[in-house]
Amino acid sequence: MHATQSDSAKTELVLELNRITKSYPGVVALDGVNLAVYRNEMVGLVGENGAGKSTLMKILIGVVQPDQGAYRIRGEPVRLKDPGHAIRLGVGMVFQEGSLIPNLSIMENLFLCHETEFEKFGLLSKRAMRDAAEAALAPVKVFGDLDLSIAETTPAVRQMVEIARLLWLSRLYRQKNPVLILDEPTTVLTEHERETLFSILHEIRNQASIILISHRLQEIVENSDRIVVLKDGKNVTEFSAQNARIPEIENLMVGHTFSADRYREAEQIEPRAEVLLNVQNLSKRPGFEPISFTVRAGEILSLVGLVGSGKEQLCRCITGLEKPDTGSVTIDQKRLATGSPSEAVRSGIGQIPIDRRSDGLALGMTVAENVNLLVLDRLKTAGLVNPIQEKKNALQWIKECRIKTPSSSTLCANLSGGNQQKTVIAKWLTSQVRFLVLDHPTRGVDVGAKEEIYRLIRQLATDGIGMIIMCDTLEEDIGLCSRMLIMKDGRLVREISCPPLQKPGPSEIIGSMV
Amino acid sequence: MEKESASTMQKSVTLKSPEYVPGRLAPSFKKAHQWIRRSGVSGQLLCLILVMAFFAIGTGGKYLSWANLQVILNLAAIPAIIAIGLHQVVVLGGIDLSVEGVVALCVVVVGLLAHNQFNSNNVGLWIIPITLLMGGIAGTINGLLNTKLRIPSFISTLGMSWVLWGLAVFVSKGQTIPLIDNPLSGIVNGSLFGIPDLTIVALVLLIVIQVVQDRTRFGRYLYAIGGDELLSAQAGVKVDRTKILVFAIAGMFYGLAALFLAVRLSSAQAITGNNLLFPAITAIAVGGVALTGGIGGAKNAALGALIVTALNDGLILMDVNPYAQEAVNGVVLVIAVALTIDRKKLGFIK
Repeated sequence: MHATQSDSAKTELVLELNRITKSYPGVVALDGVNLAVYRNEMVGLVGENGAGKSTLMKILIGVVQPDQGAYRIRGEPVRLKDPGHAIRLGVGMVFQEGSLIPNLSIMENLFLCHETEFEKFGLLSKRAMRDAAEAALAPVKVFGDLDLSIAETTPAVRQMVEIARLLWLSRLYRQKNPVLILDEPTTVLTEHERETLFSILHEIRNQASIILISHRLQEIVENSDRIVVLKDGKNVTEFSAQNARIPEIENLMVGHTFSADRYREAEQIEPRAEVLLNVQNLSKRPGFEPISFTVRAGEILSLVGLVGSGKEQLCRCITGLEKPDTGSVTIDQKRLATGSPSEAVRSGIGQIPIDRRSDGLALGMTVAENVNLLVLDRLKTAGLVNPIQEKKNALQWIKECRIKTPSSSTLCANLSGGNQQKTVIAKWLTSQVRFLVLDHPTRGVDVGAKEEIYRLIRQLATDGIGMIIMCDTLEEDIGLCSRMLIMKDGRLVREISCPPLQKPGPSEIIGSMV
Repeated sequence: MEKESASTMQKSVTLKSPEYVPGRLAPSFKKAHQWIRRSGVSGQLLCLILVMAFFAIGTGGKYLSWANLQVILNLAAIPAIIAIGLHQVVVLGGIDLSVEGVVALCVVVVGLLAHNQFNSNNVGLWIIPITLLMGGIAGTINGLLNTKLRIPSFISTLGMSWVLWGLAVFVSKGQTIPLIDNPLSGIVNGSLFGIPDLTIVALVLLIVIQVVQDRTRFGRYLYAIGGDELLSAQAGVKVDRTKILVFAIAGMFYGLAALFLAVRLSSAQAITGNNLLFPAITAIAVGGVALTGGIGGAKNAALGALIVTALNDGLILMDVNPYAQEAVNGVVLVIAVALTIDRKKLGFIK
């Protein structure tokens, strides 16, 4: 363990959040959260999806403002206007998606918007910039051609450039001991790159504080000095990393507030006997190894695994969005041509994508148009789409799915996230889908709408539709599914049955996932 | 147990991302690729040589005579000036279709204010700042429509083109205005050491804009916006101001081109602006400026204009049917875009 640090350095408080509260319509994202970061400290921040980590980070860098609570940087109360303001005060973040401009070179990105430092008679001095860039990139161990455009570098290099940029900016604004926030920095890195990143971070810690967000508890425990656990927008606890045990953290993250009511377990039915979907030896390199399983009618099969487990790719192969290397998908004894989304839809396989705004719905179209999108053939009279039938069908499903919309001709863009999701589900229901792949169906949906979606999913199962589901939280997976498949590194490692009222505990499952 | 889980977790990510070795960013062929894509003109030079070689053979060497090369340089100058103005909007990620309207109006203004046969006006050399200002104002309006009213540049500049064209016809009453002894005719028709003066003007403008693009903050922001507007704004780039300025500069280039066109023809009429947009866009695409924005500079635009002019000149020398010549230009545009655009980035083609 690298987690060794003298207590004397810890005395200086760099950043402090006190009883921060932030709510969005329908959800309290943060509820009285406290966070302190000391000088030269690496803080690990952990919590499930939706625990409030990202909201907390957005408050730290001034993207959103807290409703209540105090934020102090180096003892001074602050009210940040924007991320630029945060950087001037020495608080910066390396985003998961990255914030570098792809067509500009490494050097140009490093100093973007701060070129005045290198200006002579209105012209930029390339030599001065190169010297400064080399000096700024040395601590993160990036050497070589700095004229390479960002689009041509690896994710690891981009991350290093972002870190170097934040450090350079804090020096520019004369901030000693800046705070760097890293959001899931290792998801896109190789093993070797990860080691490099942490060795660099440990060096940087001599002149900065670091907040590390990661779902990989192992690296949090190994590298941070202190671990803060968030759950449901509240601090659960925090402790020194030396004393941390991974199973203990897992329990704290997931908690035991498991409610059978919430997931309508009473409505969970015993799946029918008939096998609906049969997946045989499906494989796609380098995503997942040959996998076989079946889903019965009315069965909710949950697919769990970490990033890189291959579960998303497996689902894309089933819905035809990707072409598998080997294997077959059979629905109702009918073998599908792989790699064809339209064939999948014709055979009754639907999917509820993770990003409904870009993949699931045409936002510029009305609710009725979206609902009827797949069944226009059925609504025809004499070869033309009949507007009366169209409206009738739409209204029926709006009622059935309890979509809250002023009218069937409201644009989908104007609906809330939950109602948009219900519209996507309605679209598939009206098309008499047999099988659905649900990719994070409750992502970005408020609490009330979540319950409605759970109800709809139960309803679908009762109607005999088979489902594969991937949820935001493990709790949700356990609550909804009747059977669970655990994937790790592209392989099926375990199958767990989840009958109502005899659900397995989350810690039991996490053990197989990591 | 902890150790074991760590090793398996690590394995799960090695699958996708390439190995990162500190100190070595990418293989050298990528560097060559980069040089061609971002700032390079090597592909375009090769293209120019191929075109010239083709016509040199096709015309039995007549194409390479000094007199013909002078013709090419002379004819390329004005399209190059327009392309150098227009390509900056393309680098931003937009498009400027107002060229013909701006030129029509500026030409008519030159006709009415310079020494002419219609009225007693004679502003002398003041005509230069006046036309630049006219073009600049038109460009600023384009920029304001795009940034403040948030109208896509494709539509706002197309609309502007027709508005200005209508205005030009109205002001000139649709007539041709003959110019008398313009003080600029010496420059427009003269040459220095055998090189047409207009070509030298275009070359100077090329160098100025290229230096601005390579060596100033403004140039850097131009490429940043073209690469990713949202991220640029987040980094602190003043996006709207940069965009308006780019449109205004483009307009000034069209104004200058209009002035030269009017003086060269010794007369001013609205239709002088016709048929300027298509060659300019072809030149930009052929020169290697990506229509998706962020890639290519003034040298690409100017070289593209030279290639297109050299091609057309060759077709004329070889007595190709004029209608076939136009078709060739269309084919060249589509091929050039197909070669320069990064279609993977677009997802959907609209």
